[in-house]
Amino acid sequence: MSWQACVLTAKLATLTALILFALGLPLAFWVAFSPRRWKFAVEAMIGTPTVLPPTVLGFYLLVAFGSGTSLGRWYQHVTGGTLAFSFSGLVVASVIYSLPFAVQPMVAGIRGVDRKLIDAARTLGVRKLKIYREVVVPLAWPGLLTGLVLSFAHTVGEFGVVLMVGGNIPGVTRTLSIDIYDQVQDLNYSSANQTSLVLLLFSYVLLCLVYGFNRRSFIWTSR
Amino acid sequence: MNVLEAKLRKSFTPGKLRRFGVDVEFTAPPGVTVIFGPSGSGKTTILQCLAGLLRPDEGLISVGGERLFDSAEHVDSPPQQRRIGYVFQELALFPHMTSAENIAFGIRGNGSRKIDMVRDILERFRITHAAEHRPGEISGGERQRVALARALVTEPRTLLLDEPFSALDDTLKIDIMTDLKQWLEQRPIPVLLVTHDRMEAEALGGRTLLLKQGKINMQGKESVTV
Repeated sequence: MSWQACVLTAKLATLTALILFALGLPLAFWVAFSPRRWKFAVEAMIGTPTVLPPTVLGFYLLVAFGSGTSLGRWYQHVTGGTLAFSFSGLVVASVIYSLPFAVQPMVAGIRGVDRKLIDAARTLGVRKLKIYREVVVPLAWPGLLTGLVLSFAHTVGEFGVVLMVGGNIPGVTRTLSIDIYDQVQDLNYSSANQTSLVLLLFSYVLLCLVYGFNRRSFIWTSR
Repeated sequence: MNVLEAKLRKSFTPGKLRRFGVDVEFTAPPGVTVIFGPSGSGKTTILQCLAGLLRPDEGLISVGGERLFDSAEHVDSPPQQRRIGYVFQELALFPHMTSAENIAFGIRGNGSRKIDMVRDILERFRITHAAEHRPGEISGGERQRVALARALVTEPRTLLLDEPFSALDDTLKIDIMTDLKQWLEQRPIPVLLVTHDRMEAEALGGRTLLLKQGKINMQGKESVTV
């Protein structure tokens, strides 16, 4: 197993999960509470990466990151580099690709909070922000944690989008899943098996931890 | 004097075949006003409109002369600003907070004043021993007292009680109602109590509104049989 790919993957997944938690939480609150009729269109947009082939998303991101678009030119002007085939580009692509895996469990968690509790808090004269922070977030925490962990795990397993946007540059964009692909191409099945087994065990243990925590939280809040 | 005046109309179409609505006008002076009525007559809808949790189609709600809702003038204060206490049938205590934290939740500010207020009301409602326990760890009667204390500690101008005693046995009910009555004697505010129970209505006394299919059939001081 390549440690360089392992560290890069951990860095990418951690950054993506943290960015998605910060961006996804207000978005999830909006989706859960907004009375807007056109909300379904936003929900569909958030969910699109779950049904879209990763190569399609990767292709459009690659085009968008190129110097032919204003985004690509702006980024080049500000940083002097390009988003395509860079670690920063990989982070942006991962945030977009893993968005539904973060937001959808968060929305489910927030919607699962008993409406009567929120109404009770409102009649006590408490501001919305305090209600969100002290009532909704603690009770929706299992859903929020699931969103955080799923976005991390999903980024670890990304392949199509990473290959399209980042290519296969060792130490820059070669993540573990690309490393496995490389090993298989080189007929190095033993090494590919080793890396795959690590990812398999990692995913399983992570989900066990999340489900275990959620079960404990459920018992605690329903007592 | 805090007098609640309400004139409101609210209609729903929950299914294509059924249409439901309330169309009522009443005044509630300080003291207890009991709202009687069969299930589905609109009792909870009225309370939710008064608290600002539901928006009436049209009407006017005021407490002590201050307009909280006026469809003609586009006035619609959010529940946070109405200072109307609400005790839900299910109590809606925050399950992750202790009794003391539940009660303190609506008190503005921090520090010793907040602690004193919580301690006083815990003593007043005889639940000091339950202060550090979560709702799931205390009895039904204690939960009821916590819910009442939480609504009253914020010093509301009006109190709405949506069948909060329905799950209690008679002895416990009388106990809690006695505490509530004593509290109200010192702080005269309009209290609207939704109940099916004659004993509750008589114990807390006061005026009655008989509600039938979303309309007030009778109001006054008489004893009402539904």
